[in-house]
Amino acid sequence: MYARTVCRILAYLGEPLPVHSLLFDTDNSLVRQSYSPRMMNTFLNLAGFGMKAWDPTSHRPEEPFTYRATALPSFDRNLRFISSKVASTCLVAHVRGVTYSGEAVVADTNLHPFHFGGTRLVLAHNGHLRQFARMRYALVEHVRPELARHIEGTTDSEWIYALILSQLDDPYGLPDTRELADAVAGALRILRTVRAQHGIDTSSPVNLCVSSGRAIVATRLSFDYGWYPPEDEMLETDLPFVSLWYAIGGEYAERDGSWGMTPADPPRSVIIASEPLTTDFSTWLEVPEYSMLTAELTPAGLEFETRDLDV
Amino acid sequence: MSDRETVEFLASVPLLAGRGEADLIELARLMRRRTVPEGQYLWRQGDRARELVFIVDGVVSKLLDLSGDRTAELGRSGRRDVVGEIGLLDGQGHAMSMRVAETATVLALGRQDFAALLAGQHPSAFRLKRHLAELLTARLRSQLEHLAESLGGRPSQDPAAALAELEECKAPDSRYVRRMTTFHDFDPLALWGFLTSGHYVRCPPGRVLLAEGTPSTAFYLTINGAVEKVLVRGDRRIRVGLAGPGKAFGYESLIDGRPSPVTAITRERACLLVIPHDLFGRLFEGEDAVSRGFLDVIQKDLMTALRETLRPRARLAASV
Repeated sequence: MYARTVCRILAYLGEPLPVHSLLFDTDNSLVRQSYSPRMMNTFLNLAGFGMKAWDPTSHRPEEPFTYRATALPSFDRNLRFISSKVASTCLVAHVRGVTYSGEAVVADTNLHPFHFGGTRLVLAHNGHLRQFARMRYALVEHVRPELARHIEGTTDSEWIYALILSQLDDPYGLPDTRELADAVAGALRILRTVRAQHGIDTSSPVNLCVSSGRAIVATRLSFDYGWYPPEDEMLETDLPFVSLWYAIGGEYAERDGSWGMTPADPPRSVIIASEPLTTDFSTWLEVPEYSMLTAELTPAGLEFETRDLDV
Repeated sequence: MSDRETVEFLASVPLLAGRGEADLIELARLMRRRTVPEGQYLWRQGDRARELVFIVDGVVSKLLDLSGDRTAELGRSGRRDVVGEIGLLDGQGHAMSMRVAETATVLALGRQDFAALLAGQHPSAFRLKRHLAELLTARLRSQLEHLAESLGGRPSQDPAAALAELEECKAPDSRYVRRMTTFHDFDPLALWGFLTSGHYVRCPPGRVLLAEGTPSTAFYLTINGAVEKVLVRGDRRIRVGLAGPGKAFGYESLIDGRPSPVTAITRERACLLVIPHDLFGRLFEGEDAVSRGFLDVIQKDLMTALRETLRPRARLAASV
């Protein structure tokens, strides 16, 4: 058996922005999605919260500020206080959901975003690899030993993270966006191959957000989408393709009581999220299914690209 | 506008074709007429849908909101056009903003009155459902044509190219099918009737099931897997929809008799329910519980398709 997580993810890259704005202030903020998701309304995300936030004015700005707690984020005062003091140019945050069973493990070691000591990348995952227990140890040969020993938790997501790091020439260096995108695609290819070797052919969403603090690579993908084990308890959640949206523009700001991106050409900021942060999602765009999105902060602005992900 | 003129106007609206005079008089009584000056909005994108609107005169501009306070005009509607039905039918917010481009007189029909017209097993309800399917199909074609224009050129798929061979397979477990949102509202007997009205096939990924520009020979419903609906021009392509479990494709041709507006390719291996052309006709024109469910499936699918088609339009407009 395995813990099947669904979760909600959020990534931001751009102009410095108080983290509180993204986590709490909007009418469909990430924290609200933990107990009232609009696009996954058969499931709650009550197994904890985690975030990595890069603040260029902080001590050692290349290292992200970290907050993780198994407490419910909506009742976590520390999170509220801290998030109103941190203004971030890059953020990856995650609320974790698990199936309601005695076998799910709610623990600090299972909280996203994952970040092995000494590395520059973090990862958050929205989805789950069905029958992961059958394939877990076949992944060992694809993960560098020095990275494998960092794995502490029981999630499929931490293995995906280790697998991506293992695809990089230097897992401890700062990869450029192209190398990072290739590493993510390479890891997904390995997962597909290992699944096939083990006869695993049921729907397994892998919406990922991987970030170095300067760039974000996100995927909207499901292996074997549309195929489910009989009597599957997650069926209603997984019948629609797991959602991913983005909003792009100048800066994310509140005007006349509503939040949105200001116009800018070229763009300077992007938010990527499992679902729009506002109930009015008319200015949000849906990431196409089976695609990879890359965003990078450059002196000229934000470089942004969406491409088909055929792994 | 007198009551008589209102009834005469309603009689000329294609969506209401075939309704008797008594029906139209009753309908006219339910409608609220108003004149909206140029520049004002009938509603904005995302607003909760409360009414659908018949345009008596004037011109209304359809606007899609884009990121960064921008909008794109997707088209215009005028006399005898109906707007606002999608938000009313699927309960989501309005898909587009409607701004009056030339002062317009409209007749508005409220949500509950519209729902009442569609309810029950009366022949006029079936007729309205069919007219709606035709109207939504025409809208979908229009949106797809705009997208295709953005790609330039002509369809890349050779219409003479062989379509995928389909291997027969067994019917799915009805307990699985019942859990799909598409079939939540079906009564069990009607669902059984629907599921046994066609046959089941299996197809590997990457196979063409239907080519743009050729007539479709069947209605397809994805049971397992996923089928991409795409527009292809040379090495450029736009995915305009993804038919996963419970989603249909191939029916536009069967509704309006024109060639398929999209190419359908399996993205994953797929198990499909296939309802051939002649059986489709019987279900579409029928007036029993199975036909009612079938028309509901098509209606829901068309609305999803229309909203999905707006996604690439928004992305394209945003990138200009």
